[in-house]
Amino acid sequence: MDKFKEMIAHRHEYAKAWKARTGGKVVGWFEPYFPEELAYAAGMLPVRVLAEHETDVITDKWMYAACYPVRDIVNLILRGRYDYIDGYVTVEGCQWMFNAFEVADNNKKAPFTHYLFLPDYTDAPTSKDVVRSEFEVLKGKFEAWTGKEITKEALDNAIEVYNKNRRLLRCIYELRRADSPALLGSEAMNIVLASQVMDKAEMNQILEKLLDELEDRKPVGDKIRLMLVGSETFDSRLEELVESLGGNIVIDELDTGSSYFWNETYPQRDRLMALSLRYLGRPHNPIKDSNWRRRPQHIFELSEDYHVDGVIIAKQIYCHLHGTDNYAVWKLLRERNIPFLFFERDTGLPEEDTELRLEAFMNMLRPGLTRLVGWHKAMSL
Amino acid sequence: MKEQVWETRPLECWAKAKELRAEWQANIAKDDKIVGQGNTYFVDWQEAFPAIRIVEDNPAGSMIQAKSSPFARKCRLASEIRGWGREICGYHGNIWGSQFLGYDENGAPFARRHFVVPFPCVCDSHAKRGQQVRDFEPVPQWMSDQCMYLGPRDEDREEAMNEHKAYCTLRQINDIERVFGQKFDDEKMVEMIHSGHVERECRSEISRLMAQTVPAPISVKDMYSFYTLGFLTRIDPQKNLDFWKLVRDEIKWRAENHIAALGTERFRWIEAHPPSWHFLKYYRYMEQYGAVCLGSQYTSGSGDYKGIERVTYPEDTPLLTREDAIRYSDTPNAREPVGFKQDEYMNRPPYGEDVLIKFARYNQANGALLALWRCGVGCTLTRKEQAMRLREAGFSVLHYEGSQPGDRTDLDEKRFLNQLDNWMESQGMQKLES
Repeated sequence: MDKFKEMIAHRHEYAKAWKARTGGKVVGWFEPYFPEELAYAAGMLPVRVLAEHETDVITDKWMYAACYPVRDIVNLILRGRYDYIDGYVTVEGCQWMFNAFEVADNNKKAPFTHYLFLPDYTDAPTSKDVVRSEFEVLKGKFEAWTGKEITKEALDNAIEVYNKNRRLLRCIYELRRADSPALLGSEAMNIVLASQVMDKAEMNQILEKLLDELEDRKPVGDKIRLMLVGSETFDSRLEELVESLGGNIVIDELDTGSSYFWNETYPQRDRLMALSLRYLGRPHNPIKDSNWRRRPQHIFELSEDYHVDGVIIAKQIYCHLHGTDNYAVWKLLRERNIPFLFFERDTGLPEEDTELRLEAFMNMLRPGLTRLVGWHKAMSL
Repeated sequence: MKEQVWETRPLECWAKAKELRAEWQANIAKDDKIVGQGNTYFVDWQEAFPAIRIVEDNPAGSMIQAKSSPFARKCRLASEIRGWGREICGYHGNIWGSQFLGYDENGAPFARRHFVVPFPCVCDSHAKRGQQVRDFEPVPQWMSDQCMYLGPRDEDREEAMNEHKAYCTLRQINDIERVFGQKFDDEKMVEMIHSGHVERECRSEISRLMAQTVPAPISVKDMYSFYTLGFLTRIDPQKNLDFWKLVRDEIKWRAENHIAALGTERFRWIEAHPPSWHFLKYYRYMEQYGAVCLGSQYTSGSGDYKGIERVTYPEDTPLLTREDAIRYSDTPNAREPVGFKQDEYMNRPPYGEDVLIKFARYNQANGALLALWRCGVGCTLTRKEQAMRLREAGFSVLHYEGSQPGDRTDLDEKRFLNQLDNWMESQGMQKLES
């Protein structure tokens, strides 16, 4: 299991080796609505530009009041950690993430940059046409850049490879629904994160093997079942902290977690329309959940499906999207008597402070769980 | 004042502006219209529904802060304990807090919203804010989008965006007719489009005169008293048009006769985006140095300084149907190149010179005062980079920090004024003797 964590730590080396091996281009993406299939079909390696904290004395010059993942991304880009990336693409979404794209665009000019518009109003009959049109523009730009046509066959293959990846990740997540799952939340998060920086075909082979191993793996034991909701995260430190206190994150609703792979592309003759519908139909993050409130209900359904005892809502400070969406999430959780803990994250994870809060939250949950006479967890918690 | 150089005198259009504003206020107090929550700039069809009034949370939120700090704090607390972030836009924290509390800053019941059209905006806080109205109680909501892309204009790329925009607006109108049993006045809409052209021309002319005449015939401090008339402060289209013609003519006369907004003008400065609405005193404070503010892209009615040709339909385009009118008013350019909110995205290197540099040059400015708002993503994005570029272009720049234009929590007023002193003194300027 450690290999996934190592993969994230060594993602830069992986991408460089991939380039050397294949002679292909690496395209970095910032927003989860980026259609990776198009880049993959063009023979490129799409990698999510993940944040990682390093001493930061640079970003204050460029930005103000941005959340820490965005600052960390800018810090990494300006320090040259992502110099192997040949092109950056961002999608209309979080403005701070756009800021990261824009600083990269101005200071570390990559040979290719592109901004893709995706409506906030995702449910209009015309929304899918806008997205299809935008995907067509991107496809044309990729073709012009690589000098290679993206054929229907290549696109079909990319869609299938990505669908397979989503199915495999979903299979792994399904195992977490077990009363005593075979894997920890931190392990699951590392798998999903690694999947966002690796060649999908290669990752699929690893995941198939992993699924076989997990079938025979000893359960992790009875732990308080928790759900993680909130701003996107780029590591598994919070999950590990929860585990050190006797809990287990059994499901998440994060852009970097389950929302990344939750729905598949349903093939149709118009491949770009199929992709458009997939990205418009995915579990939305707050900015794209601007019309119908689908997100709170999705959170509730996940919490039910995964039998969670409580929900952790971790918001990055300066995250305007979750800062404006939490009201609806809190409201629904309160109405349905689902206990939750809310806290804000700043640069990195303030371990002691967070540990204290988590411990208090889990101590609050324990008596309620042990009162459930006859329930298998009652004695061991 | 000893160092007065120019003649100055009060604006004569003040009286008319006050009258129109008072009339608007009185109508609000007594009307029984169907109240919609939306951005009045984008919901520009509202007068074609005589029984509907659109209110916007930006001015209402800033009014709460300007009128009562304790009440504004109470409102923001009411929002925060329900989940709203403490670093989201102060306008929203104030107004939704007031909705949660059930009363406004005057103690009157919070005006019920019957529907909502959220503000399609590149500002994340603003884009999300409208949902609160429907979260609070089950009322209809209609959406739209502010489309954009980077780089040169691409008509093919815009086609689907324009269809999307037209669909959104037509659906809003169609559904309001159906849900509220109101008749949309198509002829009124066409009339508004034509009068809107003239009004925009008046506003552009005023901005041009303000920017290019020394001394400036009007400062942004005065403009802030007028500029909401016609969009945030909706009044009868004809009265509105007459008023803006009146202002234009007076400003033109002042420019021709060198009547200054500030008789001691010797330093011209610009801003970016809104000021701290609760602390407008700094404009007067700067006047002690003979410094006049020409405003920002936020206040400028003229897009001339951007050097981008505004794409419009020919003036004689026949507007025969509702759809014609909506497509016309939504503009043929999906990106709306004069939209100030998109400047940070499009009007900057590598796509051209920074828009603030253009604005500073256009206004013959000596310096720029750029706020950094802790709680304002849309009004802070790229501001530091713009400052760097302005400095490289030879403009003196001062940053000051605060929460947000509608939230005074973090604005240290004393420190801010001290910063202004230092900024002016660093440029060899002293306060003028009165």
